[in-house]
Amino acid sequence: MSSEPARSISDDDDDIAFGETLVSVENLTKHFTTGGGLLSLRYDATGGGFPFRTHSDRVRAVENVSFDIKKGETLGIVGESGCGKSTLARTILKLHAPTDGDIYFKGENLADLTGEALRKRRREMQMIFQDPQSSLDPRMKVGPIVEEPMKAHDIYDPDERSDRVRDLLEKVGLDPQHYNRYPHEFSGGQRQRVNLARALAVNPDFIVCDEPVSALDVSIQAQVLNTMKRLQREFGLTYLFIAHDLSVIRHISDRVGVMYLGQLVELADRDELFENPQHPYTRSLLESIPVPDPRVEGRRGVLEGDVPSPINPPSGCRFRTRCPDLIAPDTYEMSDAEWVNVRRFMRAVDRRTFTVTDRAELLAEFFDDAYPDGEAGDVTDRAIDNVLADEWETAATLLQERFAEQSICALREPSYEVEPEHGTNQHFAACHLNADD
Amino acid sequence: MHPDTVLNVENLKTQFFTEEGVVRAVDGISFSVKRGEILGLVGESGAGKSVAAKSILRLIDNPGEIVGGRITFGEKTLFGLEEGDDGEVRQDEAMLSNADMRRDIRGREIAIIFQDPMESLNPVFTIGEQLREFIEINREMGKKAAREEAIHMLREVGIPDPETRYDSYPHQFSGGMRQRVLIAMALACEPSLIIADEPTTALDVTVESQILDLVADLQQKYDTSFIWVTHDMGVVAEICDRVCVMYLGQIIEQADVDDLFYDPKHPYTEALLRSIPRPDETVDELDPIKGVMPEAINPPSGCRFHTRCPEAREVCMEVDPEAKDVSEAGERLHRAACLIHDDEFGADYRASTPIETSATSGFGTGLASDGGVSGGADDE
Repeated sequence: MSSEPARSISDDDDDIAFGETLVSVENLTKHFTTGGGLLSLRYDATGGGFPFRTHSDRVRAVENVSFDIKKGETLGIVGESGCGKSTLARTILKLHAPTDGDIYFKGENLADLTGEALRKRRREMQMIFQDPQSSLDPRMKVGPIVEEPMKAHDIYDPDERSDRVRDLLEKVGLDPQHYNRYPHEFSGGQRQRVNLARALAVNPDFIVCDEPVSALDVSIQAQVLNTMKRLQREFGLTYLFIAHDLSVIRHISDRVGVMYLGQLVELADRDELFENPQHPYTRSLLESIPVPDPRVEGRRGVLEGDVPSPINPPSGCRFRTRCPDLIAPDTYEMSDAEWVNVRRFMRAVDRRTFTVTDRAELLAEFFDDAYPDGEAGDVTDRAIDNVLADEWETAATLLQERFAEQSICALREPSYEVEPEHGTNQHFAACHLNADD
Repeated sequence: MHPDTVLNVENLKTQFFTEEGVVRAVDGISFSVKRGEILGLVGESGAGKSVAAKSILRLIDNPGEIVGGRITFGEKTLFGLEEGDDGEVRQDEAMLSNADMRRDIRGREIAIIFQDPMESLNPVFTIGEQLREFIEINREMGKKAAREEAIHMLREVGIPDPETRYDSYPHQFSGGMRQRVLIAMALACEPSLIIADEPTTALDVTVESQILDLVADLQQKYDTSFIWVTHDMGVVAEICDRVCVMYLGQIIEQADVDDLFYDPKHPYTEALLRSIPRPDETVDELDPIKGVMPEAINPPSGCRFHTRCPEAREVCMEVDPEAKDVSEAGERLHRAACLIHDDEFGADYRASTPIETSATSGFGTGLASDGGVSGGADDE
């Protein structure tokens, strides 16, 4: 520990004004390698020498994500499990070392910081985790838990600290008398409040919240969300709020980013994103949420299939394998109706969702209103023959190669700016449908 | 019993005998399920909804026990415990034995789907074999016919390429696909009732919506009744026909789904609906229910919600209201257990003095309430 007198924390010389960029993430990428070790040895005599190679896969958890967070705002990141949102949160705080890309905090690149310099910076960035139980040491009392970060960063006088703890407990809606209680004596919602108090202890500017209310009951969720909003106003906090629940995201966020398979597919102001979504994935997500109102007619089941593996993600737009709006390849002349049928047939063959005995039945099922002609028709013909001959694999590969992989969605990674309808802030959408043509 | 009624539950009580005392997890609930309807059983964690669902199939393990009530399923008595004139509690003679329950009811007549599909599937057998065996035993089919039926059911619930997937193991399936397998298993014997215990809670929204769609389609096709246990009011609004709202072991309101959302008659339901954020509109400040649900081991006197109720009055601390029909003439049946409906309950609510609860007092009070039990203290 340093011998200089305990610092107060008002000596920040790098204060950022509200509305200015506090955190800037540029092309952030995080890959994990799996495997390695003896069990993954593969026979490989091609390289000469010892004829075994270890085999490892790269899980592309986060790829090429860029955004800014302004001081005082809440940026919500939403996505389904496995989309990389938690990895993103941890990588921003450098709890994982980024594979590539930069993270600027108050203009300083965290990716370059190590050791003591990084530790000092961490005082200004705190994190709250999903499980309020496992993030609190069961053998410590609540007071010392909240006090610990102050000790670690050597701020405030030792006798000042316990007063501050009591003060903080009250601020997050707990009784200061709870100082000497153990975490197990609290309910889930209260434990998450203790976590809030601990995060606030070192007076941070930026708090990363990773699913902070997902483990709580709805009525308790609302209490904690309200407290978080109040604390944000009171302490001028900036939140990065990760959640899978779109209702919670809509409630708490100023701007919202949507992630799919490691990438940011859309980013816009809250109202813009919810009222004018531009990415087919965002639209599917929004249509999927059950609305707590029996008179709202939901259109459900819009997305088919499962998320592909992040080890070997699809080329171009990663959502294209499930996208209901996959763009027709421009190598063929096809009407919209023809393409819709071809696309549906292609996916059904891929997933083998039907059984078929003769050609007429298949045509009636998939192509009753339009059948492509020309080259596209020839390819479809061959695929149908394959299916009828029970060669599903061949048919699927043929359709994929000649249609899906010829689409612009497979050939180029999309990245577009859209003119917002609500507000004036940037609206980013990674979908080729937004290309000006 | 009404001919359209599939299941009737009367005054069901399930208790857990723990070292700290008796937990009255389900405390005298009554409801019925009609043919072809989806009945929602909704509440927060600890409300007793899962215990209620399991009690129907008598799946309560030590230290738990069903201590009272009557469950009738068609002509059969699944459970019956009655107090005779001499005060002695005795079992109904018509009550099915454990063997009967196992052989004739579970899976065959009433199927159950749990939240975590991995718990219900054996990891060392293939999906297909598990399904085939189930069909073979319960429908008395030959091995080959059962296999064909299993593949048919897998296709029916939207498993792609079922012939190949028949030989997959549970860990090779995603969560959504496993839940589909369980739905296939539940439907395989064409039961008249399926109990679904939070079947979509562990799934992502897009997968959840696929499953809800599937259930809606299959329910139409097979005309199966469902008891759908959930904490998610969105899911309730989406698929349920009627809803029972549970709070601390009791059903406090029971109504058609539309009536429940648009004309709630119990302050808890009202508060619950107000506290949820909406995906389809922006709300600035949420209106949470104050406090936390007390422990079922030591429930509050009188109405169990009175400690958090914004409408609580003195009489609520004394009288524990039983749910009564509070609908106006010509309206659909709407039961609520709240003294605020003075005409039905006649407990002189209007004349009673309002009391201070965590809901009516301002911010900051009620924080240090020492419940003596873990988590007993109030939230904000």
